Amino acid sequence: MLLEQLTGNLFQGLVLGAVYGMATMGLSLIFGVLKVVNVGHGAFIMVGAFVTLWLFGALGINPIFAVPVAFGVGIGLGFLFYYTTIQKLIKAPELATLLATFSIGILLEELVKLIFGSEFRGFNWVVGKIDMGVTVLPMSKLYACIGSVIIAILLYLWFNKTRAGSAVRSVVEDSEGARVCGVNVGRAYALSFALGIGITVASGVLLTMFIPVGINPYMGGVYTLKAFVIAVLGGLSSPYGAFFGGLAFGLIENGSYTLFALIPGVEPFALTRFLSFVMLLVILLIKPTGLLSKK
Amino acid sequence: MRKEIVRPYPLLPVCAVYFFLFLIGKNIPGMWQLVAMLLFYCAMGQAFNIFLGMTGYVDFGYVAFMGVGTYGMALAITHLAHIEGFGMGIIVVGFALALLMSTLLSVAVGAVALRLRGAYFAIATIGVNEGFRFLIEGAKIWNGSEGLIFTAQLNQILGRESASALMTYWADIMVLAIGALAAVVTLYYMRSKIGYALTALREDEDAAKVMGINVTKYKILAFITSACFAGLVGAASWALKTPYVFPPEVFEIHYTIEAIIIVLLGGAGTLLGPVVGGLIYGISKYYLSIFMPGFQLLIFAPIIILIIILFPEGVVGMLKKRVKDPIPAKFIV
Repeated sequence: MLLEQLTGNLFQGLVLGAVYGMATMGLSLIFGVLKVVNVGHGAFIMVGAFVTLWLFGALGINPIFAVPVAFGVGIGLGFLFYYTTIQKLIKAPELATLLATFSIGILLEELVKLIFGSEFRGFNWVVGKIDMGVTVLPMSKLYACIGSVIIAILLYLWFNKTRAGSAVRSVVEDSEGARVCGVNVGRAYALSFALGIGITVASGVLLTMFIPVGINPYMGGVYTLKAFVIAVLGGLSSPYGAFFGGLAFGLIENGSYTLFALIPGVEPFALTRFLSFVMLLVILLIKPTGLLSKK
Repeated sequence: MRKEIVRPYPLLPVCAVYFFLFLIGKNIPGMWQLVAMLLFYCAMGQAFNIFLGMTGYVDFGYVAFMGVGTYGMALAITHLAHIEGFGMGIIVVGFALALLMSTLLSVAVGAVALRLRGAYFAIATIGVNEGFRFLIEGAKIWNGSEGLIFTAQLNQILGRESASALMTYWADIMVLAIGALAAVVTLYYMRSKIGYALTALREDEDAAKVMGINVTKYKILAFITSACFAGLVGAASWALKTPYVFPPEVFEIHYTIEAIIIVLLGGAGTLLGPVVGGLIYGISKYYLSIFMPGFQLLIFAPIIILIIILFPEGVVGMLKKRVKDPIPAKFIV
């Protein structure tokens, strides 16, 4: 009985983990290329959720089509914040970019609150359920999982098969060398930042499939913390590492919830969130480059 | 060994600000509430500055130390209230417990997180307050998410009259004293070997290491000192002013942000900075909340970004650069 429940939950965790992974790729991409930690990461996920809510709730547009819209919104926000803020701070001490991205996060939260209000909202996209053997999964979650995998593959192809992708990779290797070889480093930074934010906002769309009534301007904070744990699991500067880190995190989160629920007199949900914080510290301590990295 | 002499001139402006705040609050009716808020922000800024300002490390989980300090005071009052004849002594025990708990937490966090640098440190600390909050709620420690309420105990020990005097007046005086003490400690650190070591470490940690400075020791010292003051501020300003404690309230990350804004606004690593920052932030927040309620953060977020880009040294940092005359320069540190 317990084993059945555990495998069911682990399967759900894997599906959620794929979305977590994709939601973290933007963070890792930005850190990998610009060495900027986007502390306002969760706020961009929240923007994605509100794009979905608005498109689906007000206009009745299928959430699948919200993904490209959110991606576009994210690219726009990314370029906007890069040229107004990040570009001027790239050479400044870390304190500056940490606080700047944090403030950007607060700014987005407050703007969304101003427009949509601060109450919890949600929507229900009913597209049936599918029996996967170990557990019954709503189709919407399955679509979100497939969407994440497709976006991860697209990012991989962009990095390895296009000129712009190669330019960004060369900047990661050696920005001075890339400059000498005629790569426009500033543009590679801008592009990576915008792309990172774009993916993050798009991931917000897919995450809404898992939180039917949890959309709120301040929902992002939780995902910022989770994204850091996942990014650190995957090595912080590798988007693919982040994707696999997400899968691992989904498994751990759902598995530990099932096990914590067995202990009488505790709140399992709060404990899983405590566990993710402990994981963050432990991984940073034993292997700051990430459990999945080769270095 | 040459005895180092710490000249107390730079403390003069800090003390003057605290003294005037006290006078204004005491003599102008209806101002005490604003003064209490300003004292809280100045003290929090002073406490945070010892670590953020002097080392250049960002600790996003800073509020956790204020949270455990609040719990320290709360636990002392709830658990010792039934013992007869403790009287005011219970407050002393509360402060001692607050100090102990914030020290323990800072040693635990520091031992792990201070091995990391820059961005990695910030990431490690971003979850400290949330992590601690969820531990308390999840494992139902100290009454879990229901929190501790100890108004009745406070009334029982001190009597209704003096308990209300404590909440509305003496708690704020304690915050003032803690802020002033933090300023003294900051000046002492700045003028001793610790300050030079921390400056070297803030400018270039590797170079400082090569020069034979035990950077880890000084980082941990600054971290623990800062956490202790945070614990005391929490105990005085949160536990004694409002005799209850709920985990989501005392581990709220916005206090960390406020502390960072105050330190940056005034000038990180300066003695006078947190007080100037605290006054500017507190007064503008107070009046914004009257004239434009609910918009404070929307206004402050772009202001922080502007400060970081345009005035990274803060008000006092800029003054320090501009003022060349030696006599006023003595007071601007």
